[in-house]
Amino acid sequence: MKVEEVALPGVGRKFTITMASGDRLVIVVHSSGKRELQYFEAGEDDEPRAALDLTDEEAREVGAILAGVLFHPEAVGDTQSKLGQKVIEWIKVLPGSRLAGKRVGEIPLPPGAHLLAVDRPGAPLVPNPGPEVVLELGDTLVVAGTREAVEALKRSL
Amino acid sequence: MHPSLEAFALAAGLLALGAALVRRFGFPPLPVYLLTGLLMGHRLPVEELEPLPSLGLLLLLFSVGLEFGPDRLKELSGRATRAGLYDALALPLGFLLGLLAGLDPRGAALLAGIIYISSSAVIVKLIIDLRRAANPESEVVLGVLVLEDLVIALLLALLGGHGPGGVLAGVLLALAYLAFARLLGPHLVRLMESFSDELVLLLGAAFTTGTALLFHALGASEGVGAFLSGMVAASLGLRERLERLFGPVRDLGVALFFLVVGAEATGLLRGLTPVGAGLALLGLLLKLPLNHLGGARAGLGRKRRLYAALYLLPRGEFNLVLGSLALAQGYPLVAQVAVLMVLLSVPLGALLIRFAPEIGKALFPPEKKARAAAKAG
Repeated sequence: MKVEEVALPGVGRKFTITMASGDRLVIVVHSSGKRELQYFEAGEDDEPRAALDLTDEEAREVGAILAGVLFHPEAVGDTQSKLGQKVIEWIKVLPGSRLAGKRVGEIPLPPGAHLLAVDRPGAPLVPNPGPEVVLELGDTLVVAGTREAVEALKRSL
Repeated sequence: MHPSLEAFALAAGLLALGAALVRRFGFPPLPVYLLTGLLMGHRLPVEELEPLPSLGLLLLLFSVGLEFGPDRLKELSGRATRAGLYDALALPLGFLLGLLAGLDPRGAALLAGIIYISSSAVIVKLIIDLRRAANPESEVVLGVLVLEDLVIALLLALLGGHGPGGVLAGVLLALAYLAFARLLGPHLVRLMESFSDELVLLLGAAFTTGTALLFHALGASEGVGAFLSGMVAASLGLRERLERLFGPVRDLGVALFFLVVGAEATGLLRGLTPVGAGLALLGLLLKLPLNHLGGARAGLGRKRRLYAALYLLPRGEFNLVLGSLALAQGYPLVAQVAVLMVLLSVPLGALLIRFAPEIGKALFPPEKKARAAAKAG
């Protein structure tokens, strides 16, 4: 697999991924958060076989599925399939979220869900944050645990 | 109520109507703003809209500086640079054209700049609106635009000053800004991150307009000032944040700016001579073969290099900046050429880019597939 990355000034960044099969996937990540996908069959350079637009949120979900975070197929191997029941989720504190301004200790973590880290843009990662850490808009919570617990947490927010 | 609100409501309503009309046909709205101004301008009190249109232009140049600053040069591929070199041949050719039309060297240099520079803002917007960002030709076109904007910023700094004092002041001020960004940048980046969005928006607006005013006061081009503030902001790591914060304000200002350009064009183009019209048409045609050749050198296929040449047709912000400069320095012919080129190239370019795939298909029918199908049959 070969990945090429170029900047598209004013638009965003373009990634061209050539698979072992010779098929190519072109992904444009727009500055606005939109993703544009084009799929070219091996040997076909002119017109894409398929094109797809994703919103930022959709792209993250698809990315998580592709990375095997949400669902681990059995074929991946023994150790990982055991991990299959556990998931890691990234939850962003968006404007209007109940989390903004709250302390970590006040987050209603269901049993089985654990807060691994808080990622604040432009600041070093806060691993294993203590209950006194105050959440801000734009923070990303890294949560791990059983799928049910993490889903329940996401719903409750 | 302030009377300017009435003018604003009328203008915004007209623009919204125009944008809504073309939206149905999958067309980008920018050319409609120009045409609305051209058709309805004489009934609109455009003076009342100030300072929004002027602010729109400054923010547009700021955005161009933000996105097309010199730090992009590092990321430029060899392909785009090769295409950019061919593109730059438009400068000497345009200069020659100006001399042949009887202009003095300064006027000819202004004309060369106007012929050379394509509009990054218009082209980026068209590429995004028409969903062409993933195509190989877009990469080459955007790379060419990086080079164009830097060359034209230099040209503007050299030609924009009132006399040698203005030029010197402009260059010194530009160097001072860049030195300031380099020295204080790292400290400011951390400070800026703790600022709220609102504060960054206000600071950015004050910085941009303040820099433009400062450049103007020193006898240099205010356009260069706005472009330079964008470059400085990008080097402070504010690119994404300011793009997001300024986006809506800028788009509103730019829509009004293009409306005013259309409205004022009728007055400026009165007394247009065949020489002026001929220069504008030649200027538009001149770059097509150059960019086609450049596209070929950048390794684009025959269809894609045609697209690349068409993409680079629209002229816009910098052409108008150069045009108003030409008017101020006593070259009304050059100013007319600039306005006419923008007026023609934005709608025409949008149309050609929109239908580029159809044009490509008509010129180069897909033989390979036909042959494969014949074989299969």
